[in-house]
Amino acid sequence: MLSEDRNKLLCETGPGTPMGELLRRYWHPIAGAAEFEKLTVKPVRVMGEDLTLYRDRSGNYGLVDRHCPHRRADMSYGFVEDTGLRCNYHGWLFDHTGRCLHQPFEETTHPEGRFKDKVRIKSYPVTEKAGLLWAYMGPEPAPLLPDWDRFHARGYKQIAISHVPCNWFQCQENSIDPVHFEWLHDNWSRELRGESGDRAPTHKRLGFDEFDYGFVYRRVREDTTEDHELWTTGRVCLWPNCLYTGHFEWRVPIDDENMLSVGWFIDELPGDAPYEQERIPCWYAPVVDERTGRWIDSHVMNQDYIAWVGQGTIADRTKEHLGESDRGVIMLRKRMLAELDVVAAGRDPLGVIRDPAVNHWVHLPIIGRPPAQDGPPPFPFLAGQPEEIEKQLEQAWRDCARPKV
Amino acid sequence: MAGTTPVEWTDARSGYEAADAEGFGLTAEDLRHWRPFYPVEIAWARKHGLSLAVARRWASDGVRVHDAVRALALDMTSQEVRQWTDAGFLPADAVEAKEVGISLEQAVAWREVGFVLPDAALLIDEGWTLEAATAARFADVDQYGPDNARR
Repeated sequence: MLSEDRNKLLCETGPGTPMGELLRRYWHPIAGAAEFEKLTVKPVRVMGEDLTLYRDRSGNYGLVDRHCPHRRADMSYGFVEDTGLRCNYHGWLFDHTGRCLHQPFEETTHPEGRFKDKVRIKSYPVTEKAGLLWAYMGPEPAPLLPDWDRFHARGYKQIAISHVPCNWFQCQENSIDPVHFEWLHDNWSRELRGESGDRAPTHKRLGFDEFDYGFVYRRVREDTTEDHELWTTGRVCLWPNCLYTGHFEWRVPIDDENMLSVGWFIDELPGDAPYEQERIPCWYAPVVDERTGRWIDSHVMNQDYIAWVGQGTIADRTKEHLGESDRGVIMLRKRMLAELDVVAAGRDPLGVIRDPAVNHWVHLPIIGRPPAQDGPPPFPFLAGQPEEIEKQLEQAWRDCARPKV
Repeated sequence: MAGTTPVEWTDARSGYEAADAEGFGLTAEDLRHWRPFYPVEIAWARKHGLSLAVARRWASDGVRVHDAVRALALDMTSQEVRQWTDAGFLPADAVEAKEVGISLEQAVAWREVGFVLPDAALLIDEGWTLEAATAARFADVDQYGPDNARR
């Protein structure tokens, strides 16, 4: 149970809020790089800020205010040039650092006034990594964008993004809640499939450890022992807003009532011949079943979405009753509240990396899965995977299973 | 690495544990030496200067590395932790209580109402009394009749 004040502290991420200040100390994935093969400008909303993401003709990514500082026109309807983004209203041009490069009429009438030097647009750094576009919206100097070791693993990678209409924090709490797997994913899935018979193996014991980049949660189920990887290695609640189980699921606040679920997935491929993936595809996963108007319930992450949205747009934690299964959730809250104070004191919070020597293939604990023997298994995480991606994965799998000579 | 266990890592419980240990910068010898601790625990112990002997001593009282590090930072003794475990709390609860300044009697009272200790600790830390927390906890159910969970 939390007070209303503490609930707000954890949930509100707009500019100037304590949690907003904390989250702005990290890089956040906001789009797939592959999206910019077909488009040049895209409106985005991140932590309550309306912004415009673009890629200019020189290949620079920019993230600037949605509104032109001139007369507030919508920059997401602007157009890119060799350098920067030009407003479609009166043609003011801005680069990715926020500098105004050109003001057509001002420069015609008063070139000596150099009005453009006195105007800037809000801008944030954007970096491409692992097929994702990452934004940093905090104070300079920006920390390093973590170079997780999994980004370098051999396999077929894909990115799937969903818009989930609820607050980000209830989604992140799910990242340290082992018991929900047993019910939400195992037992409920059996019910949905109409299976009769035994329930899924029950959880017998939970363990939580902190490490440099978050928490590891461990579990013993009735079908496992303390020698099983679920206990010895565990899974990762990755600080501050991600679940890592071999794939990543970031929970990026769009605003306080909406969350961008950014999934980064990898299918390990057979054999050991070198495999290079030219591009990491990105697709948007539907959350609503158009036939019924209800949430999609067939896939693991869709099931999570149902639980999260079901908690309310912003979960009311003044009304909850926490038990033994929630120890990880409480640990997460406590650490979050502590890190708010760290940021308020002007220090770097947990998990910020500034040393380039540290930021090289940064290790995250992982329970691997044995490679499939007969071809890639169906994508279990989200409904709506495009057929094209399924075919690409099958092709990659076949190529690796029978390497060319 | 994952899935297979090279000869030098034969003390690892699995190829995955060996890979995890390697990722944390540990050697096969480290894993063998620190057995039965897990890679994430060994790395945490080293980071915080917890020796193997001390880690083992705490572990014999059921206090794993993460909580042992916290307990030592609070100058706790294993006997202090044992008072809590004898009362049915987890070792982590003992450390949590010490951090927030909760007595065993206080913790038992909160538990009687249904609060797990870390939940109670967060509330106490914010200034809640047991009476106020209890009233808030049952505010919704109390209005619907006499057969609610509290009675």
